[in-house]
Amino acid sequence: MEANDIDEEEEFGFSRNYFLAKESSGSSKKSTCKVSDIDVVDEQELVAAMSDIKPKHEKEIAALRDGYRSLYSQWVFELRCGLGMLFYGFGSKKALLEEFASTALTDYSVVVINGYLPSINIKQVVLGLAQVLWDLLKTKRKTPVASVSKMKEPSGSQSLDELILFLNGPWVEEKDFFMCIVVHNIDGPGLRDSDTQQCLARIAACSHTRIIASIDHVNVPLLWDKKMVDTQFNWYWHHTPTFEPYKYEGMFFPLILAHGNTTQSAKTATIVLQSLTPNAQSVFRVLAEHQMAHLNEEGMPISSLYSTCRERFLVSSQVTLNSHLTEFKDHELVKMRKNPEGEDCLHIPLPTEALEKLLKDIA
Amino acid sequence: MKMAASAPSRVEPSSDQENGDNSLQIQQPFFLLHKAAPDKSDRKPSRRRITSSPPSPNKPGAAKSVDDDYSGDHSHEHLRMEAFQHAWSDVEATIEGVLRSIDSGTFEAIYSWISESFSIIRTHVSSGFSEISRSFPAAVESVSRRLFTGLVLTKNMELFDDLRTFEELGRFLRSHGCHVANLSSLDFLAKNGIGGCITSLLRQFLAASVDAPDMLTLSSWYNDQVNNDTPIILIIDDLERCCGSVLSDFILLLSEWVMKIPVVLIIGVATTPDRLRSIIQSEALQCLCPFKFNLGTLAERMDAVVEAILVKQCPGFFISHKVAVFMRNHFANHGGTMSSFIRALKIACVQHFSMEPFSFVLRGLIEEDIQRSKQGLLPKAIYNCASNISPCDRNKMDEEAVQKLVPEIIQLKRLHFLWSIVVLCLYEAGKYDKLHLLDLLCEALDPEVYASRVPGSFTQETRHTKASSPNDCFTHQHNFTMRKGGFISRAMRKVRDLAESHLLSLLKKWERHTADISEIHEKVKELQHMLKFEDCQQLKKDSMEIAKIHGLQSKSNLGRVTKRVNDKAASFLAYLIEKYMQPIECVPFHEIVCFKNVKKLQMALVGDSRRRIQVDLLESHKILSCSCCRNNNILLPSMHDTSIMYSSCQEHGDLVNLHDWYHSFKRILLFPNSKRRHKLKQSPLSKKQKFTDDSEKLSEVAIQSRFCRGVTELQIAGLLRMQSKRRPDFVQRVAFGL
Repeated sequence: MEANDIDEEEEFGFSRNYFLAKESSGSSKKSTCKVSDIDVVDEQELVAAMSDIKPKHEKEIAALRDGYRSLYSQWVFELRCGLGMLFYGFGSKKALLEEFASTALTDYSVVVINGYLPSINIKQVVLGLAQVLWDLLKTKRKTPVASVSKMKEPSGSQSLDELILFLNGPWVEEKDFFMCIVVHNIDGPGLRDSDTQQCLARIAACSHTRIIASIDHVNVPLLWDKKMVDTQFNWYWHHTPTFEPYKYEGMFFPLILAHGNTTQSAKTATIVLQSLTPNAQSVFRVLAEHQMAHLNEEGMPISSLYSTCRERFLVSSQVTLNSHLTEFKDHELVKMRKNPEGEDCLHIPLPTEALEKLLKDIA
Repeated sequence: MKMAASAPSRVEPSSDQENGDNSLQIQQPFFLLHKAAPDKSDRKPSRRRITSSPPSPNKPGAAKSVDDDYSGDHSHEHLRMEAFQHAWSDVEATIEGVLRSIDSGTFEAIYSWISESFSIIRTHVSSGFSEISRSFPAAVESVSRRLFTGLVLTKNMELFDDLRTFEELGRFLRSHGCHVANLSSLDFLAKNGIGGCITSLLRQFLAASVDAPDMLTLSSWYNDQVNNDTPIILIIDDLERCCGSVLSDFILLLSEWVMKIPVVLIIGVATTPDRLRSIIQSEALQCLCPFKFNLGTLAERMDAVVEAILVKQCPGFFISHKVAVFMRNHFANHGGTMSSFIRALKIACVQHFSMEPFSFVLRGLIEEDIQRSKQGLLPKAIYNCASNISPCDRNKMDEEAVQKLVPEIIQLKRLHFLWSIVVLCLYEAGKYDKLHLLDLLCEALDPEVYASRVPGSFTQETRHTKASSPNDCFTHQHNFTMRKGGFISRAMRKVRDLAESHLLSLLKKWERHTADISEIHEKVKELQHMLKFEDCQQLKKDSMEIAKIHGLQSKSNLGRVTKRVNDKAASFLAYLIEKYMQPIECVPFHEIVCFKNVKKLQMALVGDSRRRIQVDLLESHKILSCSCCRNNNILLPSMHDTSIMYSSCQEHGDLVNLHDWYHSFKRILLFPNSKRRHKLKQSPLSKKQKFTDDSEKLSEVAIQSRFCRGVTELQIAGLLRMQSKRRPDFVQRVAFGL
């Protein structure tokens, strides 16, 4: 009962915090400062500077790692008991897991999956795992002859299900015969979809595999249902904050002050526009001028853009205009929106100052 | 894409330098870190690279040689693993046995229904032989196209809990000669279509993959079988998750072939049979000839499992009161499935054997070897191990000390046995009040309830020499504090209120449970006699008085007599509780077998990533235990950058203005606030620190790069959402509060 009360209280506290945060942003004066006010240095310089950041608390971080090192034998024990290991906490756990695998798991083959990479082909991964197991079974002397004859060498022509069945075996009766799969960022962008997670869960449940994974996102448990957690992954959670920089995990994230900000977009837009025909540039100018003159509107309706362009002899037909607009949309120079009357309007997703600068540049 | 390296390519533990191989590995989706060392039996100890096993790491001055360390370490690991595997395989086998016995009735019913159905199919076949002798099935009358379908109602929304049951059913039917294939919802996916399930079928029956799956292959396989006078059973365990159209097509296909391939379907239904109508198309539905079967409910299963493994069994592993309460709450609030409960138990078991050295060293003592050990035949290895791994808070164990433990552990086992008898008696009574065993168990394990019995002195009573005399047990007034509305008090109240027939059957159950302890057994028998005797007497009296006295009055008399026995039974139960129900935690040396660390279990079972990752950032100085960032309320430039940023972003609402945030970050880095400055002036050491801080003139580019890295790290942690095109100057906070 007490535990229930605490849970309820926590939930209440959580929702209260949410509404307080909402309220504070609504009621108090919202800051109008702009990112463009920061004197942002060039992206190349930023990237170079990032690799030179002086690490803080090196001694303490090393002590944390030493502490974890003393737990290695316990972790191996848990793994051998058939549990999956899940490491979480702030800081990159890549070095920790690889060190653990290469020092304490020498008795087992270890395959590492870099989940932080944005594109991973799970079928290729499973095939790779099956091949490792195949090699392992071939070299193992005690594999029963009967089961060897049943085995078929895993190949790319086999389906995912067949490969997983192969991993599941059981080819060897010995309980302690398995390979370890280290998954850095099992919550990574390339592994985040439900099908891949289901597949990973099935791999984790195979008799000849054990999984060691790390997560960094706070909401990761939402990726898994009860079946996956309790029967397939069989997680044993380890809280291991390392405070080490996410050097590799963060490689594919755009820098907030460099990419995607307005100066950058305006710069890109200028380059794109300069490569277009003068007529197309003029159509864009019509759109930009309309947007600057009507700041509060959703954008310029296509019909009025057409009539204005026709008046100025910029386009001869709707088809020509459409071809220009397609070009703009492809380069994300314009966006479509609907105004309150339900008309389709064109809108340039840039602030007024950036637009002014852009028009000057292409003049 | 190819595997990165066929030969072992090791990543050096602490090096961050990107040598050629390393940088390649970083960009590879996957790679082989290393291959397993050659077979363990061939290996020499010196090849082992595991650094250290004891929790107190590297003491350079240790006198033992490396080889000694290894052999000790290795034997501990071996003993530890052996003990765990022994205990856990016992638990697993018990669970399987219990569940099998619950389901056995249903399985038998299913099998006899299958036999009947098969004979009906055969009758149709013999009447239309000319039709089926063709290679392809012709359109036959609709009656003979009907597919016998057993709907197994699991009464459990979490169907994966019952997967084991369906596997077991498959095994059961196979043992009776049927051809069985287990299909799951994964075989009925829209993207694979009907081909998916036929492939799976053929793979299971033919034990080989088929390039072009069709029913003809299955039909010819069936005809080739020696025992083709038995049906083919297809078990689909999860109706609700199957793709309706694929399942419907599959049913239609099977019904066309049923004359050639006598198929009987068994479908697991988590909800109600009506759900079938919404999932399967009407045309396919008409082909089904359904029959319902019920499985035991989750509550029944839980009670049976808890009874078998936490009350009756003695696998050398018990759980403490707090752990039991935690597991019950976890089951009720988070899991709600048998699998989650078993997982919790397994983790507790793993933790117990990995943390408590005596748990595995003295395993022989705890289990059946006890008689042998009693005669002083404990293996010498045990003494050696015990003396090696004795925790610092205990004295060094020698042979004599281990030997002294023998009677203590015998006593512990005996006390637990007595405790389990009382709990079972209570549970039998509680069943009439629909009590669950897990609830009762939590209360029965509570050391406080036991302490209230003999305040402050329960350790003196462990041998039960001073308890009240057995003769007083029927008039015994309990002097322990029962929790108001507690499960024990409810069970006892129920004993008082039970009707005569129920009381009689309760006493019979008590008799069975207490059979091994003669002194209790006798008393139960006495109670039974009392009830029968008084019953007979009352009947005689009633028959004599029946003419004279009003019927209603006689009934109330009879009630009063039974009440007297009820009271005696309740007093007896109270006596049992008081005398024998000693929770494991109140027995000396219970640490050897009892797992108590509820916090560790909770951490391992439910990693609270949302809260903990935030705490890591907000209280980084505590985790890093650094001396420089000790001040709680002030953000210091020495703190971890992301920690500073996350703490400062707490001051914003749900939207964080990037410009403001950046400037506050910059301010913290460049101008630590006045309080800190004031402090710095006081200590000479801090002055030096300040000097170095100021001397490090942070360039704008350095601050911006640190800011960018912080934002990226917060994004990776999922605590921040990037700015949208509509709000380019703001990022959005995602988590509010811990």
